[in-house]
Amino acid sequence: MAHWFHRNPLKATAPVSFNFYGVASSPAANKICNNLRTDRVRLLEMFTDLTCNPDMMKNATDAYFSLLQGFISFLDGTTQENKMRFIQNFKWTDTLQGNVPSAQQDAIFELISMSYNVAIWYTKFASRMAGKENVTEAEAKDVHRSLKMAAGIFKHLKEAHIPRLITPAEKGRDLEARVIDAYIIQCQAEAQEVTIARAIELKHNATLVAALSYETANFYQKANQTLHTLDPECSNKWKKYFQLKMHFYMAYAYCYHGQTLLASDKCGEAIRSLQEAEKCYVRAEELCKEYRQTKGPGTTARPSEQLFFLKLGALVKNTLEKCQRENGFIYFHKVPEEAPQLELKASYGLAEPLAFELPPLSDQWSAEVYSTFDLTKGAKSDKAKAKPEEEVKPMKEPDLKPQKDTGCVVS
Amino acid sequence: PAIPEGMPSDSKTNKDGVLVDEFGLPQIPAT
Repeated sequence: MAHWFHRNPLKATAPVSFNFYGVASSPAANKICNNLRTDRVRLLEMFTDLTCNPDMMKNATDAYFSLLQGFISFLDGTTQENKMRFIQNFKWTDTLQGNVPSAQQDAIFELISMSYNVAIWYTKFASRMAGKENVTEAEAKDVHRSLKMAAGIFKHLKEAHIPRLITPAEKGRDLEARVIDAYIIQCQAEAQEVTIARAIELKHNATLVAALSYETANFYQKANQTLHTLDPECSNKWKKYFQLKMHFYMAYAYCYHGQTLLASDKCGEAIRSLQEAEKCYVRAEELCKEYRQTKGPGTTARPSEQLFFLKLGALVKNTLEKCQRENGFIYFHKVPEEAPQLELKASYGLAEPLAFELPPLSDQWSAEVYSTFDLTKGAKSDKAKAKPEEEVKPMKEPDLKPQKDTGCVVS
Repeated sequence: PAIPEGMPSDSKTNKDGVLVDEFGLPQIPAT
């Protein structure tokens, strides 16, 4: 089954040279700085490289982070702050705020921002793969794993690293709890979408599909509520996506719940459940149009014209007709006025974020090499001060079309 | 390292002890 997911743009960043004139006073220290520069460039290139796969991404990420951690870890045997942590300024844009960067002179800010982009990349990789017509089982596993991986990265950043920043996250920016929570829930819900498709394909029972669909709809509702107080200009499109997916999966839940009711000879209630599914589906269709017309960062798409959407419409219609036929021939049940209460609890298929761990510190680092970074020598360097401010250029993403009429720049 | 017991596989059990696949779905579809 071809899936469709909304995606916000990648974060963009200004180049970082890691040229610490005078500070890096040994060949080993200079080598670390050179490698940091090249590994950072390589990792940034990976984000927009369509041939990049999770193994390549992991290698590039590990290479950079294993070195960057030398600016964060306690390397001199004390628990004092790493002397290199605040030496370099890093600029990053946010996924919802266009081309206006945030800057912090903090290696932890860099670690968080780069990891954030890695997580976004995993969601984009999953989206590209899941959008294909015939997704194989192995590919479905990759999609599922990538989404749980992304959720794990976001969760890890939120719990372990963002609280360590000296400068708190500004409202509406990526590192703020509302935004990061929305990403975590979105990843879990989308992973469950893949599971729902698999459950249907493997002909698992209707109760399982209905319960998982209901929980997935609730996830989307929760994500929508999480963004409720965010600036509408930047978040409306994303919220429309959550709303349309919520109604779409409520339609799924009522449709499969109706099948369960029919199987237990409750035909009148089954018809009512299917009518509710139809209602949710129509609302989802309206929201698809609203999504398309809403300006904001992210993908441009016509979700209601895609296969995944049309298939459910046909399923709801056929199942309702079947129930009505059987009621006319066999059951003669009265159709209740109230829609059935969905109190479904999924026992199977709920997606949990995968635990994320940073790679170990590179063996290029040691207490001795760390001691050859001499902060007293570099700070007064005129050469370093004279360097002009680097511009933040948007990422050139192959799978996002630009929307010129928004306040937020889409790369 | 110890010799692995059995073949590597995607299967694991959930909290109720039911054998599930990588997606957390029961190994045997209960249709």
